[in-house]
Amino acid sequence: MMMENPFLMLIAGIVFIILVAIIFWPEKGIIPRRSKINKTNVRVLIEDALKHLYDCEYTNLTCTIHSVAGSLHISGNDAANLISKLEAMGLIKSSSDSLLLTPEGRSYALRVIRVHRLWERYLADETSISETEWHTIAEEKEHAISFEQANMLAAQLGNPIIDPHGDPIPSDTLQMPARRGIPLTSLKEGESATIIHIEDEPEEIYEQLVAEGLYPGVQVRMVESTTKRIRFSADSEECVLAPSFALNVTVVPIPKEEEMKEYLTLSKLKQGKEAKVVRISTVIRGQQRRRLMDFGIVPGTKITAELSSLGSDPVAYKIRGALVALRRNHTDHIFIEEV
Amino acid sequence: MNEKITQKGYSIIAEANMLRWEVGENFHDALMESIYADAQKIADKAVVMLGAEKKFGFDQTLDKIVTSKWLGFPLMFLTLAVVFWITIEGSNVPSSMLAALLVDTFHPALKTFAVNVSLPWWLSGVLIDGAYLAMAWVVAVMLPPMAIFFPLFTLLEDFGYLPRVAFNMDGLYRKVGAHGKQALTMSMGFGCNAAGVISTRIIDSPRERIIAIITNNFSLCNGRWPTQILIATIFIGAAFPAYLAGIISALAVVGIALLGIFFSLVTSWGLSKTILKGEASVFSLELPPYRPPRILQTLYTSLIDRTIFVLWRAVVFALPAGVVIWLVANIHIGDLSLAQHFISWSNPFGLLLGLNGVILLAYIIAVPANEIVIPTILMLTVMTLGIVDVSAGTGVMFELESEMLTKEILVAGGWTTLTGISLMLFSLLHNPCSTTLYTIYKETGSIKWTTVSALLPIAIGFAVCFFVTQIWRLIA
Repeated sequence: MMMENPFLMLIAGIVFIILVAIIFWPEKGIIPRRSKINKTNVRVLIEDALKHLYDCEYTNLTCTIHSVAGSLHISGNDAANLISKLEAMGLIKSSSDSLLLTPEGRSYALRVIRVHRLWERYLADETSISETEWHTIAEEKEHAISFEQANMLAAQLGNPIIDPHGDPIPSDTLQMPARRGIPLTSLKEGESATIIHIEDEPEEIYEQLVAEGLYPGVQVRMVESTTKRIRFSADSEECVLAPSFALNVTVVPIPKEEEMKEYLTLSKLKQGKEAKVVRISTVIRGQQRRRLMDFGIVPGTKITAELSSLGSDPVAYKIRGALVALRRNHTDHIFIEEV
Repeated sequence: MNEKITQKGYSIIAEANMLRWEVGENFHDALMESIYADAQKIADKAVVMLGAEKKFGFDQTLDKIVTSKWLGFPLMFLTLAVVFWITIEGSNVPSSMLAALLVDTFHPALKTFAVNVSLPWWLSGVLIDGAYLAMAWVVAVMLPPMAIFFPLFTLLEDFGYLPRVAFNMDGLYRKVGAHGKQALTMSMGFGCNAAGVISTRIIDSPRERIIAIITNNFSLCNGRWPTQILIATIFIGAAFPAYLAGIISALAVVGIALLGIFFSLVTSWGLSKTILKGEASVFSLELPPYRPPRILQTLYTSLIDRTIFVLWRAVVFALPAGVVIWLVANIHIGDLSLAQHFISWSNPFGLLLGLNGVILLAYIIAVPANEIVIPTILMLTVMTLGIVDVSAGTGVMFELESEMLTKEILVAGGWTTLTGISLMLFSLLHNPCSTTLYTIYKETGSIKWTTVSALLPIAIGFAVCFFVTQIWRLIA
């Protein structure tokens, strides 16, 4: 029987597999790249520019052609063209040194922001996509989903009011609350506060903040605040950040009389010991949070570390008479108080 | 007046909307907390627990043993091994009895009857040699092991041991993005993939459940064990001295099963990192208290829900496949049957994978059940070679008592040790049978996941067979 040269066949096989990988590889392959939305689309530019203007307004900064160009990654010329187009559409007006939104422009911006933040909330609650990707995906979705679809999504999610980074989601009538909180850098040594917002842009800074375990709901106590570095404890873990990074964290101080207590996490509970649940951190969200609460893991519940599996993760806990196994990535975010 | 009221209404709603930010989102949790607190208060007043402590003490001791460092794993493997041993040993006799009855007695009797009522040859061929024989084969090979394996498994589940296995295995499965309970659905897959797919209902997290469904096919099912054992005996065991042959071929089969577990883990990892990255994932695993198994109820439910249910689906799929098998072997275009045309056309491709055209065709037309792959291969080989005296007629599936004779026929069909090894690999790594595919569709309700479940293993199978074959030829 005729046989092809096995050596040549092997090479052909390897080449074939490499080709398939180049075409289909997730995110970097030819087909996944093709399906991404074209960023230079006019509608996308308009909506992004309006969002930028709204951001400036919300944070009391002055917005210029330069800042628009910088935020949209386009040239100053293109930005100027874009601005005049927006002015012609009656969405913005320019005064001597800054650009301002007209009421129509503001409501357009808020619609886009509502879609963006709802989508982030959806990704956080209902999927297992990691937090560093939420923003990028929502950046694309905000231009693709209609306002009506977004309202349906909101109803499904139970009309959430804040996105997973702590930003308020504009209501369906486009209302927004006043801005609250102070930057982490303004907190004085020895003061305690609760994080209410983590800025998700730029991505490099956000990734670092996520890696430090910072997210809305974490309680912090300032240890040392200098112009070089900010040292503080976040849910009992010590963190050190450069001030420029800490600026992206917004906190609300806790009044002195409700002095913050430091709690252990459930994962640190020794086998056979009993404790009382204090709270479930906000990183556990959506279905997983509901599941834990269904088991009766709510503040005040007594919980005993009963049994460790072969690899010591998961651990089985006795909760209200039932034996329930929990993984460490969840017990790390359940706070307890030993009794 | 009315307008004024409407105005007022809107401003109240707007006010309420603003207040939602003041209230924050914690009120959901607070509500839940207060419900539990109230329930606790009522229960403390009204409920008295008797004897709960003693029962819990026993459970605790047993739990300490089954999750202990030294005894946990050996106990698990021992339990599984015993279940398999009972299944294989216990199903030998009823299987051969059923085969004697349905294949060796009823089939000739039906043929005689057909001749007596002077049924046209093609009608008796389609109905008796095709549809009936395929169904008879599936029932004979499938029914006894399933009727033993499923009740045993259900008893272990009922007793409360299986959740502990999931608990022990979760560490490993977590690392590949899956759920500990997948260890159970995988074990169930060793009995039957269709039943394994149904059993993934115990996994309540959407992502992990789809992973378990897609990878279940990598569990070497009961329909494939006989193929593996036969081929290992005649092509691998035979290459060694007689006193080693038995153990070597047994090791080869176990090796294939372990390879299946390896692929199921690797594929789980790959799926959870790529196409299933975004699906929601929730972990929870309850360890229910141990309780004495309810034997009669278990027997009843596992026979009705699992055995009969799966068998019925298999029979429904085997009947038309039997018709197709008979037809491709008996419809001629020119001098050759449809089957022979396909075999000579696909043979070069088959050889690239270390297989041949006969095997490829057998896997296509025997898609309803892995049980009829070997009978189909034998039928097709004999037909292409033009041997007439071993089977009951052209296009009639058969099996041989003697392994030596089987080997002679296969070797005459051009089979080598490489063909044997490739067939063993391909038998593990190919699309699930149509019964399983239909079950996957029913369980997921999605064409997409059914397609992935069908194409992923076959792509892996082609790749593995191709590279093994080329490397083998390079070395040999």
